[in-house]
Amino acid sequence: MGLPISHLLLVTGLVLALIGMWGVLVHRNILRIIIGFSLFGTGMHIVIVATGYVTNGTAPIIDQALPIGEAAARAVDPVPSALVVTAIVIGFSVTAIMLSFAIRLYEARKTLSIDAFTDSKW
Amino acid sequence: MVESFLQPLNIFLLGLGGGFLIPLLYRLSKRLPAVAFWTALAGIAIISGACLWRLLGGADAFEIETAGTAPPLAISLRLGPAEGFFAFWVNLAALFGAWHLWHRLRDSYTFLLLYLILVMGINGMIMTRDLFNLFVFLEIVSIATYGLFGLGQTRAAMAGAFKYIMATVLASSFFLLGAAMLYHVTGTLSIDEMIARRDLIAGPIGTTALVLVLACLVIELKPFPANGWGLDVYETAPAGVAALVSVGVSAGVFFALLKLMPLFAPQLTLIAVSAAVTFLFSNLVGLRQSNVQRMLGCSSIAQMALLVLALSLLMRHGEDDALPLVVGGLFFNHLFAKAGLFWLAGAVRRRRIGGWNILSAGAPFIFVFCSLLVAIAGLPPFPGFWAKWELVLRLAEHGGYAWIAVVLLGSLLEAAYLFQWFGRAVKPGRGEPAGRVPRWGLFPAAACVALLAIGGMVASRAAGAASVWLHAPLVAGAALLVIEGLPGRARCLSMLLVVFAAGTWMAQGIGGINGLFAALLLSGGLVIAAAGLYRGDARPGYHPLMAVLLLSIVALLRASTSLEFFFAWELVTLASAFMLALSPAARGVLLQFLLFSLASAFLILAGFAIARAVTGTTDLAAFLAAGPAAAPAFVLIALGCMVKIGVIGAHVWLPASYAKADDDFSAMLSAVVGKVAVFGLFMAAYLATRSNAGLELARVVGWIGILTTVIAALLALQQADMKRMLAYSSLSQTGYIVTAVALMSHLGWVTALYLVANHLMVKGILFLAAAAIIERTGLRRLDACGGLVGRMPLTFAVAIVALVSMSGLPPLAGFGGKWLLLSAMVDRGWYGPLALGVLATLVGLLYMLRFGHALFLGPLKPEHAELREAPAALLVPQFVLVAGILLLSFFPKLLMDPVSAAIDPQFASTLVWQGMSLELIYAYWNPARAMAGAVGLALLGAGVLWVIYRIGRWPSRAGGPTRFFRYYRPLLAPMLASHAERFWEAVSVAVGGAAGAARRVYTGNGQTYALQVLAYVLVLYFFVAVFPMIRGG
Amino acid sequence: MTRVWAAVIVILFGVVFAGLALGYSERTAPSDLALRYLEQVPADLGAANVVTGILITYRGFDTLGEVAVLFMVAASVGMLLSGSASPAAGSVRPARPPSELVVNGAEVVLPIAFLFGAYVIVNGHLSAGGGFQGGAVVASGVVLLVLARPAVVLHHGFLSVTESLAGVLYVTLGILGLFLAGGFLDSHILPRGAFGAFVSAGAIPLISALLGIKVAAELSVIIDRFRN
Repeated sequence: MGLPISHLLLVTGLVLALIGMWGVLVHRNILRIIIGFSLFGTGMHIVIVATGYVTNGTAPIIDQALPIGEAAARAVDPVPSALVVTAIVIGFSVTAIMLSFAIRLYEARKTLSIDAFTDSKW
Repeated sequence: MVESFLQPLNIFLLGLGGGFLIPLLYRLSKRLPAVAFWTALAGIAIISGACLWRLLGGADAFEIETAGTAPPLAISLRLGPAEGFFAFWVNLAALFGAWHLWHRLRDSYTFLLLYLILVMGINGMIMTRDLFNLFVFLEIVSIATYGLFGLGQTRAAMAGAFKYIMATVLASSFFLLGAAMLYHVTGTLSIDEMIARRDLIAGPIGTTALVLVLACLVIELKPFPANGWGLDVYETAPAGVAALVSVGVSAGVFFALLKLMPLFAPQLTLIAVSAAVTFLFSNLVGLRQSNVQRMLGCSSIAQMALLVLALSLLMRHGEDDALPLVVGGLFFNHLFAKAGLFWLAGAVRRRRIGGWNILSAGAPFIFVFCSLLVAIAGLPPFPGFWAKWELVLRLAEHGGYAWIAVVLLGSLLEAAYLFQWFGRAVKPGRGEPAGRVPRWGLFPAAACVALLAIGGMVASRAAGAASVWLHAPLVAGAALLVIEGLPGRARCLSMLLVVFAAGTWMAQGIGGINGLFAALLLSGGLVIAAAGLYRGDARPGYHPLMAVLLLSIVALLRASTSLEFFFAWELVTLASAFMLALSPAARGVLLQFLLFSLASAFLILAGFAIARAVTGTTDLAAFLAAGPAAAPAFVLIALGCMVKIGVIGAHVWLPASYAKADDDFSAMLSAVVGKVAVFGLFMAAYLATRSNAGLELARVVGWIGILTTVIAALLALQQADMKRMLAYSSLSQTGYIVTAVALMSHLGWVTALYLVANHLMVKGILFLAAAAIIERTGLRRLDACGGLVGRMPLTFAVAIVALVSMSGLPPLAGFGGKWLLLSAMVDRGWYGPLALGVLATLVGLLYMLRFGHALFLGPLKPEHAELREAPAALLVPQFVLVAGILLLSFFPKLLMDPVSAAIDPQFASTLVWQGMSLELIYAYWNPARAMAGAVGLALLGAGVLWVIYRIGRWPSRAGGPTRFFRYYRPLLAPMLASHAERFWEAVSVAVGGAAGAARRVYTGNGQTYALQVLAYVLVLYFFVAVFPMIRGG
Repeated sequence: MTRVWAAVIVILFGVVFAGLALGYSERTAPSDLALRYLEQVPADLGAANVVTGILITYRGFDTLGEVAVLFMVAASVGMLLSGSASPAAGSVRPARPPSELVVNGAEVVLPIAFLFGAYVIVNGHLSAGGGFQGGAVVASGVVLLVLARPAVVLHHGFLSVTESLAGVLYVTLGILGLFLAGGFLDSHILPRGAFGAFVSAGAIPLISALLGIKVAAELSVIIDRFRN
């Protein structure tokens, strides 16, 4: 018997987050850094969804496949899914804002290297 | 109707509804968004204010359930007293902030809606009781902040914003993951339920989740060293936005931490350590900042860290009842003082500290600026002072001395850079003015000062020091500030009247030694302050400050608790510091003066805290009954007072300040203000009376005193500047007093009081004489004058009386004092100090001879042929003081009897060592033999020196006394090389170097900052999850 | 050097995350709270999709906040990029015309995409989907539109009024909950209807539709801002 499905999903999410983190820390190009952040956030979202899984569960939508009486027994936890919807929107928003700042930064210096923007320090 | 409008939920309706409406309204009319914005913002403030009002009136906390469903199913919010307190004051500050930022905000309706939703978001962070909802509000606040960074036009501002985004996005991602995993282990998102199920948060998932949530909040509060991104934004964002981040966003995050604190119960120490590190290092780094906003950023971060430190330590010790005063007070103080300073910085539009010059900005501006600085530094009368006091006391109760050291050291560093800024800003005659600030531009900051003052009053009540007389000095000062429009001399007169009236009222009922000091210092202070009439110029601020100073001294003497004492002590320090700053020449030494004064105050504070922990009360009378455990308190308080007295080693600040202050104020400093520290030493001595350890320590104090006397006397001999010489002479004389107090005997204390009275009058006269000579000649060097006896005979006459009295020559009071001292030392068997005392008397004779000779005898300089006698305004006080000296000399019983009476009932029985009775002293009061002995010895010494001088100068012809001194001074020079100055210089360089090294972590690279943030999370993880495992085996 | 530090940090986080993965064990039953949701959303709210019920009603306050986030971002992006709306003359490469595949594909896919988006939006209470999801589908249609027809101009004024109006209506519906039902954002202001019917579940479909419109408008604005 292999890993439970949610475990697999969890590990995938965590690895994705690590990849994103690596991107944020290593790439000099601001756009790549932003992609890193997106990956990082997406990884987190996957992890959250994974934690909501219940063994042999199905989507918490009451229909023919899941009669109302069986919902308690067979549905996955709906809360993490609900949270993730919100989190995804917020993640999108943050990415949009970062991109706009990236554009402004590019206009200022005609470069996207993060090393070029150390005007204030110490 | 009104009732339903004033519900906390409406804060969110106004914020969101207003925000959504603004673009629509903009389509209708370009003016409408502004109307909606102000209506909504004011509505939010009013609602939160009304709710707070009702809560304070005893109403139950507002519980808001959304979706008509109870938690944990639905999100709920709560507005209790704590929430109401934070929300209302933040909203009010946001209202002022919008006023400040209005000229920028109105550029685009986008800014209006961002600002509005940001404020709503902070309210949400404060009120929500749902963990995930907290995340949503955190994001609302963050995103609105990111948007508002768009107000910054520069490249640096954009770069700073991007770095800020990088760090906060990492932090909030961790919060998200942490919150979701906390749900996984506890099965709830309601904070209250989660706290109830705290036990479930264990195991790898629970612990990691907890670390992640904690890490997010800690990082959002910008912990050192992972806070470069925060500093960059503080530096580059428009001041109004920086202020909002500093006080608004931080307040939201702090409150989130506060409400989650029960979850972090096992991590309280870790949180406190993190905060302590941040508090210390941010203040250290602040020392080296040249950009105003970046420096304020350092201070912001430090203040938030102090809040966290206080919160976590008080909670750890279960001192929750102190939270309102300490955390509430510190928060309120930071909120308005920091926001006010940021707004001032924005109004002045000088980014660099070096470019600040506020002298031309007008008196209201300077007043507001000074008040805000004082508030930030945690000085009275503002709430931060009371909060810090309570914090230190509570920490001492639990033996948290290391924490106290951190708090006080950090505060000292913070005061250092803030007042360094002040010093630069008031440096005269350099650079162009910092731009006029329009009156309405000053309004938000001025409102902050008003609120802080009121807050200080409230906090003083909470701290248990609300007596009217305690606040009388400030009230008097404020009243005199109102009549600043009158001509100079009229103001001086009204000041004298106010001080006389208020002072005599306050002094009523002060008994014992305190009463004697009060009578002495108040009357002496009034006489010397009257000399201020010789100057007819405006001297803005001088008279109100003088009233505060003199009345604070009376308040200090009336204090019956250590809190009252400390409050008055700090007021004396502040008033004298600002009066010093009124002299342009003294502004260079102001920082030194303030730092030593504050260091002294902090030592005393620590001492009081220990005393309170030992005796269990702040009652000063309990000091007498304190046992051996009070010895550390004695050491600290005595040390503090000695720093303030300026004993040798810690004296570097004193001569320069005395010499460079306004001439009449120098007299006040030396004669009256210096005695306050002597009184403090008396009070510290009470603590030592009951223990042998204390008495042994008193012996050390005695040695320090007598060494100060000798070395300061030698240094006085070295000086070329007449006021500087008098300053060292002051120090030397005070050294005698220190020794007398340290004798810890009846006789010693009688002597000390006697010397205090004598020195007060003598130094008053001499400094005023110097003031007169400087007024007439414009010269300060001793050898630049000469022969003034013919031109200023009255001044000469009073100066001679003073010199004779000081040198201890009979028949004047100084002789009596010195004789008493020598007798007391013989009694205790202090022969070493005795010998040094005799030596000092000899040196004293020499420098006083020099003073009199150089100024009044010898040939008159041609350019001085037309000089007139000193102005009557200076002469009259001197004559009054001369009368005092004569009275003291010929009717010593007038002072001795009350002194003895004051000491006898209280201390005679409590002193370990019983002094000889007063009758015995009077029996000794036969000058003939003793006079012959002591003075003869001194004269003999002088004669020997003269002979050596003649032999040494053999080839050349004999010169006058001037030559005599020129011969000896170089011989002494190497001995007196300024070790102390070099030591303190080295300290300052070392601290500056440490600051320079510490700020190297701020590379300015966003990626490095992200790395630091991640590393910080790992460190927290290590201490929460791994470290206990290692320790547990 | 930075790389070394980055590697150290990432590896250490890997260790932390590995701890998570090892400590994790799959749930065998939903939490108590989840059970209550599974029971109450269909019974009390009348919504078949439990997630939507939670999102719109029980955690409606979150959703409102998230709408505010999106709203602010749309405004901020517009504000941040408005300074750069006029590219310096000559420095801009002439845009490559979209490929035939995109142009023709768009003609086929666009109507379907918009329709599908609308479907997802209004059926959120019954099946998988909801305002956000549908709005995102519509917005991706807009992406395709602007890719296929670079010349198309989105009317920002219209979009901005739409999103504001949707927002205001959303808040108004929430306030109605205060007066007509149990509290702010309570979806009981409209009758529950027959379970599983299109018009059912109280105000949930209405709010969902408003959300969908708002999200679609906001995402479109954001995307269009980046186009210029």
